[in-house]
Amino acid sequence: MENSLPSKIIDRTSSSYKIKKFLRKNLGGWLIMLPGLALFTFFVWKPLFQNIILSFSHTMGMKAVGFAGFENYKSVFQDVFFIDALVNTFKYLFWSIIIGFFIPIILGILLSEVVHFRGFFRLGIYFPSIVSGMAVAIMWSYLFDPNPGAVLNQLLARLGFKYSGFLSNPKLTIPLIILTMTWRGAGATALIYLSSLQNISNSQYEAARIDGANWFNRLRFVTFPHLMPTIKLLFILQVISVFQVFYEPMVMTGGGPNGASVSLLLLSYNYYQQMELSKSAAVAVILSLIIIVLTVIYLRLSNPNKREAKNV
Amino acid sequence: MRKLLVIILLVACGLLSACGGGDDRIKVSIGMWPEEILTKDVEMFRSWEENFEKDYPQYDIVPDHYTYSPDTVIAKATANQLPVVFQTYFTEPKKLIANGFIRDITAELQELGWYDKMDPMMRETLSADGKIYGVPRDGYGLGLFLNLEMLYDVGVIEKNSDGTYRLHDDSGNPLYPTTFDDIRRVSELIVENIDYTYGIVILSANKNGGWQFSNMAWNFGCKNLQVYRDGKWEANLNDPGAVRALEWIQTMRQEELISSDASLSYNDWYLKIGSKQVAMAFCGSDALSLPVTNYNFPLDQFAFVPMPTGDGESRYSLYGGTPYVFSANATDEQVKGALLFLKYMGRSPEVDDISVDAMELGFKTAQEKGMPILPTIKAWADPDYLEVANELEEKYINVNMDYFKDFFDTINEMKKPEEPNYCQDMYALLDNAIQSILSNPNAVAQSELTTANAQFQKNFLSKINK
Repeated sequence: MENSLPSKIIDRTSSSYKIKKFLRKNLGGWLIMLPGLALFTFFVWKPLFQNIILSFSHTMGMKAVGFAGFENYKSVFQDVFFIDALVNTFKYLFWSIIIGFFIPIILGILLSEVVHFRGFFRLGIYFPSIVSGMAVAIMWSYLFDPNPGAVLNQLLARLGFKYSGFLSNPKLTIPLIILTMTWRGAGATALIYLSSLQNISNSQYEAARIDGANWFNRLRFVTFPHLMPTIKLLFILQVISVFQVFYEPMVMTGGGPNGASVSLLLLSYNYYQQMELSKSAAVAVILSLIIIVLTVIYLRLSNPNKREAKNV
Repeated sequence: MRKLLVIILLVACGLLSACGGGDDRIKVSIGMWPEEILTKDVEMFRSWEENFEKDYPQYDIVPDHYTYSPDTVIAKATANQLPVVFQTYFTEPKKLIANGFIRDITAELQELGWYDKMDPMMRETLSADGKIYGVPRDGYGLGLFLNLEMLYDVGVIEKNSDGTYRLHDDSGNPLYPTTFDDIRRVSELIVENIDYTYGIVILSANKNGGWQFSNMAWNFGCKNLQVYRDGKWEANLNDPGAVRALEWIQTMRQEELISSDASLSYNDWYLKIGSKQVAMAFCGSDALSLPVTNYNFPLDQFAFVPMPTGDGESRYSLYGGTPYVFSANATDEQVKGALLFLKYMGRSPEVDDISVDAMELGFKTAQEKGMPILPTIKAWADPDYLEVANELEEKYINVNMDYFKDFFDTINEMKKPEEPNYCQDMYALLDNAIQSILSNPNAVAQSELTTANAQFQKNFLSKINK
């Protein structure tokens, strides 16, 4: 048998070889990614950078017509509405943790414990998530009508309570908006927890039972440690989404009463409506920075092992 | 194979004809074109289009359904998608001019001879630096909408022997509320006698609260909410008249004569009126059909009367309207085409057959739709135009004019244009003051308005004082 020898020795260190190898290996992948990248560039990255540019510019319509330095940021920080919106945004965060963070965990655990009609309960809990967010906001604003003849006030009256101003009461506005958001979003989040719970092996519960663990201890020592990564991830996602709360206050209260529910994103939209594009862009940049900083702090605090490993 | 070849050839021919068969007519997009579901209105516009294109074959009218809003206009203008002509509000042109979204049409208006025929107050509102940027469609005055049945039920007004309502006593004095104290008195009667109702709806959101409040402030004795002094604009939102107006709202709330709902906007006045949750509402004279078309409110059950006075002397009706404005990217020819099309819509000062026919078609369509046909506040002051327009109007009016006469008889003396600078932004700040009063029983009207005043001066008026 005759051995076929290469007619030419391939120089594996040459740059042309490396390029050819790279292309052969990656070209298909890049070609597949290209439409996605183009869309990302056009719809995400370009607007993002353009927004940053606008925040440092004087504007006419949506065009930057001159460099403004930090003038827009200064003007935003001096605006009393900005302080209100900033404080409110943290209030949204606070109430979303109090109301919106634990409910899906509880629902997830309850769902995993249900033996009969599990599909029915799953659908029932998930159902509000199917409804359009705008429709949910409109529906709840009707329910929260402060007039004595309105549904919830009639219910309160029948139960012997006083009429409530609901969204017209500045102290209740943000918790009620969060309640609406939780009503819509809790089901979907509960299903994520449920899928995590279903990954926990039964043998661990059985072992805990043999060790004499009661219901609470099983929850504490088996369920929660397994759920923790999901809880951490969903917490971060919740913080990010609550900071971007926008259409619920816009539809339900318009940011009122007297700015009691205006969020940073709604403030940015208000500037946009006033045709102050540069100030609107500046608020958006500030909001992004706040979210980035909070996320980094949270990740650092929640990953002590990584820090310790680095120190070693 | 042969089939495939035929298909390819057909597609190629189609593409070629699409590319080559260009229409070199001047395209004029009409932003106020009605949505397709409004079949009667679309039919009317199609008829105007047909007449226009027959007389001006060089133009191609392009329907464009654009409802103006401050947030969509920016995107539309940036993407060069604004129609050649579109409707806006009287408070908007200054902002649109500053951002370069609309264009000067002085030369075109002068060429057509329309410039001098325009209502002078409206012309001033649409002008900047000696140039004019729009054509008024019509005007409105704020007034008081009354649910006659409810007012009769609580004994405020009486009935004639023929079953119609009587709004004046034998000496000709109005029985309906003419002062804010009267409104309070009537509201008490309504609340006492009809379950789950309030006397009047007070708007408080979407800049609509501030819009109506500015009229209330004038009628409580505030001359202006913006004052030009020593070459600078000063905010005057905490004028004693404005404070008295806000205190009136507070008293009404404390006595539970108005709702505590701090999110009521313009859609709510006709919802509340239409569903008989309130007996009275402030609204524009151009919006009287809304309870009828949206909630089947009977044409013979409502009246529209002048704005009440707060101090017994000040009687103003906020005067605004709807102008047509022209995209900054429109060419002179397109602007001219759009202006000529307005004539075919019966919206010009011309009184030839074309205009009169177009106006009549407008009335007939409104009649077919069951809309109330009432006098309007005209955009043009030309005597010939006024004569023809008023004559036509009288022919088609389908309501009992006794219920509207007082408003239309006094509007010319009472009308007062909106405040000149950053009007919508001022309204937003006034909304906040009203919301505060509605939601917090301990709020102090003076301090709420002082806060709004400082914010308006700092955030807005300071920009033009530079």
